[in-house]
Amino acid sequence: MHKYIFITIIFFLISCEPDDICSNATQTTPRLVIEFYNIENSNELKTVPALFAVGIDSNGNEINITNEIVSSRDRIELPLNGSVNSLRFKLYKNYDLIDGVTSGNFDIININYLTEIEFVSRSCGFMNKYTIEELAIEIDSDPWMNAVTISSYEVKNENISHVQIFH
Amino acid sequence: MFKFSIKLVFFFLISFNLQSQENENPKSSDSLEFEEKYGLRFGIDLNKFGRTFFDSNYSGLEMNADYRLKKRIYLAGEIGFEDKLSTTDFLISSSAGSYFKTGIDLNLYKNLLGMENLIFSGLRAGVSSFNQKRHQYIIYDTNNQTWGQIQNNEMVEFSGLSATWVELLFGVKTELFNNLFLSYNVQLKLRLTDVSPRNFDNIHIPGFGRTYDGSKIGTGFSYTISYLVPVYKKKIKKDSKSKDEINEISN
Repeated sequence: MHKYIFITIIFFLISCEPDDICSNATQTTPRLVIEFYNIENSNELKTVPALFAVGIDSNGNEINITNEIVSSRDRIELPLNGSVNSLRFKLYKNYDLIDGVTSGNFDIININYLTEIEFVSRSCGFMNKYTIEELAIEIDSDPWMNAVTISSYEVKNENISHVQIFH
Repeated sequence: MFKFSIKLVFFFLISFNLQSQENENPKSSDSLEFEEKYGLRFGIDLNKFGRTFFDSNYSGLEMNADYRLKKRIYLAGEIGFEDKLSTTDFLISSSAGSYFKTGIDLNLYKNLLGMENLIFSGLRAGVSSFNQKRHQYIIYDTNNQTWGQIQNNEMVEFSGLSATWVELLFGVKTELFNNLFLSYNVQLKLRLTDVSPRNFDNIHIPGFGRTYDGSKIGTGFSYTISYLVPVYKKKIKKDSKSKDEINEISN
């Protein structure tokens, strides 16, 4: 009889349902990854001094990007908005903020994209993935970016860079 | 779960109680002769039935039947339907459909004479045909603070879904009154085939239960009341070996 009670208890333990918790380690909606290259040697990454990005919504308002800080780097990740199909970003070189006055040279990039959903898992549901349709540097009087190429039109994850900007 | 454990313990108590009564009154061993009932037993799953009334996100019904083939072997099957709403942090979906399971039960318990209780292990093959609806989702995006969370409330239905699985059961069946049985069993299932929606997954499969991310395993339990319709009876006699056992007890 003890044998049977034991087996029943084992089955009970197996039957306990774990909660559906979406682990933070799960691949999430990717951001657009831009890498900066040397215009004189297109295979060489080149750091942008004091790089800082600001989003611009469809009404032209500047939107602060969460967790974006000023730093010198050759790679930046920009979150896209799945509810719209076009966004602009202001990318500063040599950004500084003194007494509420910003300084530095900014160039604006304009990106058009398509959004699709992709099933992740039962606990995480769906994420967005994007397809870049067009990406352009807006012309201004003092550009610091020289050229742009799209290395991956599919934005499915952040493991690879999607856009290369030469400066 | 705790509630059901209590009921399970209660089953065992009933069985022990009946056993001890049997042992206290050993009759003259030469005239011991009993009839074992063979027949068709019909039942209903009380858990699914009750949950339909108490859980607004669930409705379901399961009818089951078994037929005694041999002394210890029963041909068994279940048929039912389930409609369940499943909610996780990012997704609300529901599935509705019917299922059928068939297989055998094997009684592992050696009854004392005149008793028809079972401690059984069973094997089933199951098939389910169902539809699934996606009611709502929130885009999973850990970087959504900048542009805001995106939620979609458009209902989309995916039809023509199916699944097959095998199932291992373990349970007890106790005769409460003449021909009326109360039964509890737990089930461990392994999904064999799946027809799931494109760019989505089967979240809940009627008869199989909820699914797990990256796993083919499922679990379930059932709490059943059933009635035996005897078709024929087989006479059994106590053999000399068990006669000795009874003599030992009475001495």
